[in-house]
Amino acid sequence: MNGYTNKILFVNLSDNSAGIIPTEKYIEQFVGGRGIAVKLLYELTPKNVDPLGPKNALIIMTGPLTGTIVPSSGRVDVISKSPQTNLLGGSNAGGFFGPELKYAGYDGIVITGRASSKVYIDIYNDDVEVKSAENLSGKGVFDTVKALRKNDEDTQVACIGPAGEKLVNLSGIAFSMRNYAARCGLGAVMGSKNLKAIAVRGTKGLDVAVPDQLKQIADEMRERIKDTPSYKEFPEWHHKLFRVLEADAKTFFGNYDNVLWDGRFEAYENAEKFVKGAELKLQSCFGCPLRCWAYINMKNVGKASAVACQGTLTSIVNFAKIKDFNKVWEAYLLCQDMGLDTGGTSATIAYAMDLYSKGILSKTQVNAINLTFGDGNAFVSLVKKIAGKEGIGELLADGVKKASEKLGEAAKKLAVYAKGGQELWLMEIRPFKGVALSCAVTDSGSHNRAAYGLCEFYYRSMKTQAETVAKNIVGTEEAAQPTRYEYKPKLVAIYEDMHTLADSLGVCSIPFMPVGLDLWTKAYTASTGRETSPKDLMYVAERIRTLERLFNIREGLTRQDDTIAERMFSEPLKEGPWKGEALDKVMFEKMIDEYYALRGWDLTGKPKPETLKRLGLEDTCA
Amino acid sequence: MDKIVVVNYDKCIGCRTCETVCSLVHEKRINPSESRINVVKYEEIGANIPVLCQKCEDPACAAVCPMDAIKVDESLGTYIDYTRCVGCKMCILVCPIGGIGLNPANKKVIICDLCKGDPQCVKSCPEQALEYVDVSKLSIKKRREGLEKLAKFLEVAKI
Repeated sequence: MNGYTNKILFVNLSDNSAGIIPTEKYIEQFVGGRGIAVKLLYELTPKNVDPLGPKNALIIMTGPLTGTIVPSSGRVDVISKSPQTNLLGGSNAGGFFGPELKYAGYDGIVITGRASSKVYIDIYNDDVEVKSAENLSGKGVFDTVKALRKNDEDTQVACIGPAGEKLVNLSGIAFSMRNYAARCGLGAVMGSKNLKAIAVRGTKGLDVAVPDQLKQIADEMRERIKDTPSYKEFPEWHHKLFRVLEADAKTFFGNYDNVLWDGRFEAYENAEKFVKGAELKLQSCFGCPLRCWAYINMKNVGKASAVACQGTLTSIVNFAKIKDFNKVWEAYLLCQDMGLDTGGTSATIAYAMDLYSKGILSKTQVNAINLTFGDGNAFVSLVKKIAGKEGIGELLADGVKKASEKLGEAAKKLAVYAKGGQELWLMEIRPFKGVALSCAVTDSGSHNRAAYGLCEFYYRSMKTQAETVAKNIVGTEEAAQPTRYEYKPKLVAIYEDMHTLADSLGVCSIPFMPVGLDLWTKAYTASTGRETSPKDLMYVAERIRTLERLFNIREGLTRQDDTIAERMFSEPLKEGPWKGEALDKVMFEKMIDEYYALRGWDLTGKPKPETLKRLGLEDTCA
Repeated sequence: MDKIVVVNYDKCIGCRTCETVCSLVHEKRINPSESRINVVKYEEIGANIPVLCQKCEDPACAAVCPMDAIKVDESLGTYIDYTRCVGCKMCILVCPIGGIGLNPANKKVIICDLCKGDPQCVKSCPEQALEYVDVSKLSIKKRREGLEKLAKFLEVAKI
């Protein structure tokens, strides 16, 4: 079928065998990307599969729109069983890897087994070779990418840093120089397979069903994206980002116990001064007009590209309260190079700082590091220790939840994490009831994979827009108010479905909503020649979400797992615009009941037989 | 030569939309390797440099072609007469900027034809990093852009 390459590359590293899985049979039910990846994971792994064992599958899937002329189509979805949560692990990355993979002739790659020594997979169109990566062992992401590109910057590389090699649960998979599938410990899964990298170069290209029509649709989409507030604001986000978070009252500092940190304005000013002063060039992922990241050259510290993302660069400042932006940049580059999830790592370090300040971690335990909030050097030392699992790093390498379990009750009480034990994505959760629900019911980890851009997010700064969106989706403006519990289950379910579709079509979730599902649907049809409708696609999304649920139930998930850290309920915010806000347990459980009902799941969170039948999943037993 | 595509390097965000549009327009499929324009990246220094035929007034490619397959249209500049081209690739070797490509599918030499005077890459570029500019106005345009800083300085200094 056009739009797809119709081949998924299957590599078993245990016996060095490779094969092709035809994409065709999954298209109707699961479309592509995240959808097909989840289906493959379900099919290819046995129940209770060890996330770091050879039987786990690491799946990198593109969607039917990936690498087409459609804007923002550089995405890949990475799926595996997560070592951090023991549930489905999913993370989505932009950049240029997905398009290159398709031009080489593959819709995706499935990796199983474990190589006997460190290897990388080298793909050039039909030539697929497993090669020795011994010389790359222990190398950082930047050097690895450089080595495998061999002066051809169109060669795209997916790789892990030292952290992934050491099976650190806070590690992610880097896609070339900056894009990350950061969450859920997928770097450790890749490391467990002794797979250092995948290098891909493709010159075969892609056939689409109705080229001229697709071009027209893409032109219209580009215009719609250019009309969005994001488009206008993104060039300034690199230095205004902290103010954006403040304007929406999503800011918190430290280990979720501080909103009005008195050093924050100094920190913001430092960030603004440094980022503005650094050599800056706005950049975009494949086919995208949004330019939401930039090359930054911080004199004397280092140059690289940075993302203006609420979850990464900012998280170092917010979690660790570091004012010196030189240090922040150094720490950020180090996380990127070591192959760490910057957000999760920052949260874990803030947690350790909090424990140390309260005497729960002793000076000896923290290896005599001055582990106090604001100390950039301490932060950098800890990143190194986590990446190498040395000293205190051994305790912290798998994130907040697992560290807390080793440290006892007092430590457990201070731990904040989302479902399954993954650190939350950087934003205060307590006032945002929809986001909280989303964190609890999502397939994996935090809400960035489910409710990105939920209209609650920007209620404070763009009230009218938030209300319009809420009214369009659930029929009432009130649904946009962050602190309201009502209407949130429906709002979250629809956002989840939209997000799932973006991840499955292979496009970015940021412009997905503003462009509108009607145009994405038209693009899908023009690209593949397959007739479908927005309604049909939403139905596919529902099927994918339920299959994700079935996978998690198979791996032992129960309703009790659909929650968020206790502190978000028991500890109201002490200060700031949302002073006094906490999550209400009764209202929260009520939201979950309602969400389950909307999904056609029973009160234990298990999909009902009639739901499975309606979605054509009756053969998939949980 | 009347007009050429001028690249404003500092504006290019590296999204490669021009490549997909070009291959779609010319080959009715999507493949940067079949595009007449290619964004060359130097990621470590943050440089994105779209490269395409600059429509030389005295084209080396045409001079070197043993089959006289590269011709020069008065208005649109160099173009390839595929009835004569034997695919010897000499033109690729002599082009000083790598502005000539080779279609990997059919091994044909490819060169920008300015979309017959309506270049689609220019239309699709989200950042106006590509502009279709009258050759006669090229130097005055660059001169004005280059001197903007001085003009502002003079205004401030009230000289």
